[in-house]
Amino acid sequence: MDSNEIYAHLQKIYCTILKKDQVTLTDATTAADIDGWDSLTHMLLMDSVEREFGIKFKLMEIMKFNNVGDMVACIQKKLAAK
Amino acid sequence: MSFRSRLYNSINNNSSHNALCINGCYCTYKQLAERVAVVQQTLIQQSGSLDRIGIVLSDTVDTYAAIIAILLLGKTYVPLHPGHPGERIQQIVSQASLEVVLAASATPQLAHIACVDMSFLPSVSSTPVLSDGDFSNAFAYILFTSGSTGIPKGTPITYDNIDSFATGFYAIGYQLTPQDRCLQMFDLTFDLSVVSYLMPLCAGACVYTLPDKGMKFTNVYSVLEEHNITFALMVPSILSFLRQYFSEIHLPQLRYSLFCGEALSADLVTEWQKCVPNATIDNVYGPTEATIFCTWYRIDTTGTVGATNGVVWIGKPMLGVNTIVADDEGNLVSTGEKGELCLAGNQVTPGYLDNEKNKTAFFTLNGERYYRTGDLVLLHSDGNYIYCGRSDHQVKIQGFRIELAEIEHHARTAFGCHAVAIVATSPQGINQIELVLETEATNKSDIAGTLKSLMPAYMLPAGIHFVKPLPLNINGKTDRKELAKLIATAI
Repeated sequence: MDSNEIYAHLQKIYCTILKKDQVTLTDATTAADIDGWDSLTHMLLMDSVEREFGIKFKLMEIMKFNNVGDMVACIQKKLAAK
Repeated sequence: MSFRSRLYNSINNNSSHNALCINGCYCTYKQLAERVAVVQQTLIQQSGSLDRIGIVLSDTVDTYAAIIAILLLGKTYVPLHPGHPGERIQQIVSQASLEVVLAASATPQLAHIACVDMSFLPSVSSTPVLSDGDFSNAFAYILFTSGSTGIPKGTPITYDNIDSFATGFYAIGYQLTPQDRCLQMFDLTFDLSVVSYLMPLCAGACVYTLPDKGMKFTNVYSVLEEHNITFALMVPSILSFLRQYFSEIHLPQLRYSLFCGEALSADLVTEWQKCVPNATIDNVYGPTEATIFCTWYRIDTTGTVGATNGVVWIGKPMLGVNTIVADDEGNLVSTGEKGELCLAGNQVTPGYLDNEKNKTAFFTLNGERYYRTGDLVLLHSDGNYIYCGRSDHQVKIQGFRIELAEIEHHARTAFGCHAVAIVATSPQGINQIELVLETEATNKSDIAGTLKSLMPAYMLPAGIHFVKPLPLNINGKTDRKELAKLIATAI
């Protein structure tokens, strides 16, 4: 799956969880840029992302996500290894 | 020995040890002492006779230096959170009669008040001062909690209150040394921060705060793991967040794992025990009014946990704390019957700043002055207290105490309709606030924006719902239970 496709999936998930009509995500996006993305919704987001892509993050991996780009790279790596 | 003397000695005797680790940067006791001395000099010069000092909080060495400077001088600190709405800060400033405020960087706009930017104070090589005198009845800090009328409620805690807490803390057996590394995960407007920085600093240990970027629960774990933390007081919701990763967590260096601020789930803590094989795990309980915490329950190392309805007991009173269970009229209930937990002893505040509130919150029985906690408990036959919920509409969300009535007050005033705040549990088992407005559906982000300008972030609802008309119970009052059911299907 290329990163554009991953972003399309992610944007859909973010809209559902954060109850928004539109969410724009880029490599540089962090939680501080998106209203409503806090500790509580972060868990729901990670959970939905894992389910959508059929992958499982490790705590260490989540801890190292500095932005959405890091998460996308991790998703790609996991999908490639499947 | 008073905690002030302990703190003073610790700062002088541990010069080369690390005192603080903030965003990965260490600060030794010597460096901290220099900043404490500078702040003290400024306070003595600029506000000689003023006792109450506001501190605009930031995650900096200077914020902690300011707190220590004030405590060693026997004055009173009032934490001000720069992220809270301006009107709320102004209410605190006027209720606490603050005339001078210390800030570690850019300062908020505060009317009629002198503001000292500590970042401009040059470091000098002098040493901190410990003021002589009897400060036992002086206020060490004043913390403001949610008030049901929309006005924050100021609770002063005296030097004697803190000394009594410290005596109880040591009597439990917590022994911190200069080799300990301690977690400080709390906002400084919240009294669990006091035990998290003060007890380590009194012992020459190092205090680790959370990085300001990223998610709180992952930050908590990364600090625990990276810095081999040995003492950690946390809110139970951190465990709910981390639960799905427990199999990856192994923290053998943790000696003390304390939980406070919310109901602790017995299942969760039993699983946590495997992650922290060498830790003593205690569930501690207490309101701000009785200084940080005042009862404690130790989780047995064999895995048997005293719990009722899946919630770990809050245990027995600390040394010097007297407890009774009373009914609405202040009469004792029979052992084993449910009632309101009332607290007496030297940890209990002398009373709120607003004297009106003291009439209902405190009462005297057999010569002892008791504080009504509003918490319903049962006394188990083995002497442990069992927490059974609140007698009013106060709730705790991630440890923050919130009057649902305050949220309702702000929403009602802002939107001109009936507003009901209820607590709902997310699928992950985390409590969150949901706000129901009795009006036609309208733009939720506008509503959220308005609420943000009125209340601190921890009070903001996770979801907004429109229900018209509101369901009523048989007495014609809003049926909160029915609403809760409605909302549960919507989150």
